[in-house]
Amino acid sequence: MTAMNMAGFPILTTILMTTIVGLLVIIFIPPEKTKLIKQVSLASASLGLVLCLWLYHAYDFQKGGLQFVERVLWVKSIGIYWFNGVDGINLPMMLLTSVVLFTGVWTMWELEHRVKEFFALMFLLVAGVYGVFMSMDLFWIFVWYDVSLFPMYPLIAIWGGTRKEYGAMKLTLYLLAGSAFILPAILFLWAKGGGHTFDLFMLQKIGFTPYVQNVAFLMLYLGFGILAAVWPFHTWSPVGHVAAPTAVSMIHAGVLMKLGAYGVLRIGMTLCPQGAVYWSHLMALLGTIGIIYGAIAGLGQTDLKYVIGYSSVSHMGIVGLGLATLSVNGINGAVFQMFAHGIMTALFFSSVGFIYDRTHTKIIPELGGLSKTMPVASSFFIFAALAGIGVPLMASFWAELLVLTAAVKAFPVAGILACMGMILSALFMLRVVQRTFYGEKNPRWEHIPDVSKFLAVPRVILMSCILFFGLFPKVMLDVIQSTVIPFVTRF
Amino acid sequence: MTDFMLFLPELFFILGALLFFIFSLRKTPNPAGYHRWAVVLAAAGLLVTVASSHQEGMLFFNCYRVDLFSQVFKVLMALGTIWVIFSSGELKGIDTRQHAEYYFLIFVCTLAMMMLVSSVELLTIYVSIELSSYSLYLLVPMRRGEERYFECGIKYFMIGVTASGLMLFGISLLFGVGHTTYVPQLIKVLPTVISQPAAIVGLVLALAGFFFKLAVFPFHIWAPDVYQGACNQVTTYIATVSKMAAAAMIIRFAGISGGASPAMIKLLIVLSIASMTFGNLVALIQKDIKRLLAYSSIAHAGYILIGILTLNSQGYAAAMYYAAAYLIMNYSVFMVIMKVADDGHNLQIKELAGLHKRSPLLAMTLMLGLFGLAGIPPTAGFTGKFLVFAAALGKGYLYLVIIGMVNATISLYYYLIVFKAAYLLKPVKEYPPVRVDFWTQFMSFALVIMSIYLGVFPDRFLSLTEAAARSLF
Repeated sequence: MTAMNMAGFPILTTILMTTIVGLLVIIFIPPEKTKLIKQVSLASASLGLVLCLWLYHAYDFQKGGLQFVERVLWVKSIGIYWFNGVDGINLPMMLLTSVVLFTGVWTMWELEHRVKEFFALMFLLVAGVYGVFMSMDLFWIFVWYDVSLFPMYPLIAIWGGTRKEYGAMKLTLYLLAGSAFILPAILFLWAKGGGHTFDLFMLQKIGFTPYVQNVAFLMLYLGFGILAAVWPFHTWSPVGHVAAPTAVSMIHAGVLMKLGAYGVLRIGMTLCPQGAVYWSHLMALLGTIGIIYGAIAGLGQTDLKYVIGYSSVSHMGIVGLGLATLSVNGINGAVFQMFAHGIMTALFFSSVGFIYDRTHTKIIPELGGLSKTMPVASSFFIFAALAGIGVPLMASFWAELLVLTAAVKAFPVAGILACMGMILSALFMLRVVQRTFYGEKNPRWEHIPDVSKFLAVPRVILMSCILFFGLFPKVMLDVIQSTVIPFVTRF
Repeated sequence: MTDFMLFLPELFFILGALLFFIFSLRKTPNPAGYHRWAVVLAAAGLLVTVASSHQEGMLFFNCYRVDLFSQVFKVLMALGTIWVIFSSGELKGIDTRQHAEYYFLIFVCTLAMMMLVSSVELLTIYVSIELSSYSLYLLVPMRRGEERYFECGIKYFMIGVTASGLMLFGISLLFGVGHTTYVPQLIKVLPTVISQPAAIVGLVLALAGFFFKLAVFPFHIWAPDVYQGACNQVTTYIATVSKMAAAAMIIRFAGISGGASPAMIKLLIVLSIASMTFGNLVALIQKDIKRLLAYSSIAHAGYILIGILTLNSQGYAAAMYYAAAYLIMNYSVFMVIMKVADDGHNLQIKELAGLHKRSPLLAMTLMLGLFGLAGIPPTAGFTGKFLVFAAALGKGYLYLVIIGMVNATISLYYYLIVFKAAYLLKPVKEYPPVRVDFWTQFMSFALVIMSIYLGVFPDRFLSLTEAAARSLF
């Protein structure tokens, strides 16, 4: 875990800079040059994607541990370090972020309203997300975490749809209330660790007393759990998703929610292993309730975005349950699920976004029989739905399989309930697909054109991601495992 | 000659004040000329203050100490003064015949506050604080317009005098307990007798005068009315420069206790929690932006107290950092208010509607200022809060930090309301366009850069405040 090779070139900071430089360039472009703004955005997003792909390729999973380390003392008196690195847990997350950003920017190509501010805020958000994933210093993790949250408010409140101001305010206050627990927890660990370092790996060696671990873990779990939409703190999530514009929904559900689960894993379970053991039953309970609750609540929805919002609650429940098992398979599955769900939800929202842009409705009974008029757009959604159910050959299949086997072993009752939850979620997904895309054709949508080739590209990229990691799960599991196997020895 | 160097910033501000006193005797006022003079003098004052920032020494029979602590605050106050004076170009809120008096009182007040942060003798402190208070008592009711603005001036005066009375009583108790009025000697004597009620009561009452200035609960009642009733420039001055002096003096007095008084710490904790919670909850329902900022300043007084009540140099350094950050971000917001309401009226939140179209630059400055006040990274406001909370947790006050963070979340709501007005709302009627001159453009960029620089690269300024906090003892 502590193996550190100092890469000569600070590739991680460079990835971060692609977004910040993109942001600065956009700020200085006159607002009426929308085409140029979009080109710059896409260019910087694709640069990030290329670098992340290279990073994924260059990571040596046989050696494992933290690689591409950059470490500079930042604030001497309280011990803040500019400390970045990747291991098997955050590498898939980095890749996920870059893919979703790239496809998200492409999806928003038709945006006309306040283009400059939109892309500037989006890059600020993604800078925060990259920052959280790559930082190994508690201070910076928190800074980037907050940086990634507050652009959500304007992004939803300006460009959003249904009840946008309410959704934006609710989401922002909920998520920042989460950081009201995270910051005290971080400072608590820092103070108990002697008050001279925020370096995650130095703090890890300290070995906190069980009391400190239990208190800190609970605070971190509650704080990050709000962002991971853990039941009963999920209520912001469907409302926020429904209100948000397409690319923001994609990034938010696809990447931002993962920050929550990642935070629990990266800070909570790393620094407070005994705390994690102590609270594991709570985590398993809330995770299982989330899986079942999300599926049942989804059954009653008539708004496509609400359906996806609740399915996210359900899928993030799987991540929570996987983490709660504290076993190799469970955590492997959880991390894999974070990746798979991220890609899948991005595809969901991007296809719903397209349908909404064209038909101006996302109410299921109004849509009906859409596969006959918009076969390509429909196929994207149906593909995502299949991935959501966890059909074999999809990436999420492997993730859910791993989590459920681990869960049945660790918490038999919760595990079996979770399996039943999966059946429920299959039921509600298929119902939505059947009612939206099959059945009577609605004559209102007959003349509406299908997805153009240009706008199909990002969706096809997402689809092929799901399929690729469904066919070759080893490509990702090898990487995740290289870190998770030494990780679980601490429990 | 060296003594002269030590007192140079103060001398300079005396000179400036005298010049405006002479101007005020003229029959025909020349507001534009006064403004140019004031700008030049304040700029020179800032340079002089910066130049003498590394001086150290004692003056006036050891009543007056020039050290890093006082000089850092003097620079901050000179900076705040020049910002306020730069924004006084229009000064529509005050009758043109009184412009010379306005600048005179601003210079006197800054002078008094500079003397305040250097004073280490109780009576000198009292005289300085009264000098600064009386300048403000005169500045507040200077506003042109309705009768009710006088009411707030009287309210300010009455509460201020009461706080002074309490402070004098506290000082007399401290003298009774310590047999000295010199702060350095009190620091030596007081920790040995701190368990006596008279010592604690004396210290707390002596602090009351500064709690009044910083608007700490329960001495906050003047703030909303005065913020609303004074003209925008005077409010800005009260909200920025005078807060620096108050924070500095609370730090100095808290240092007297020697860090070993549980009763005083408990009291400060209660005041801090009450200030944060009260300020933030009442701010939620405000419609007038200056009233909103008044309540937010009460809340911020609570955050600064969190740093101070640790009673160690790390906490003092954090509180100083926070104060500096507060100066920058509060001025950012006030600058936008002064610009948007350049005819000097009280700005309502809804009047900010569509600001992002009327002036994108001011909207951005406002956004950064608001996010700084709300404590969102990467602004100086966040780093300040982080340092303050870290100092508190270093002493083990976990619950206090949680309460502070919950309060920060509550405060986010009303800052977002203002943000929403500037970026989202469509104006209900046509507002006059905002005129942005070169100075405002420059200041906007400077404030944004300063806020982010201090937020992301705190190391250098933090080590400065740490050195300053160490020079206290």
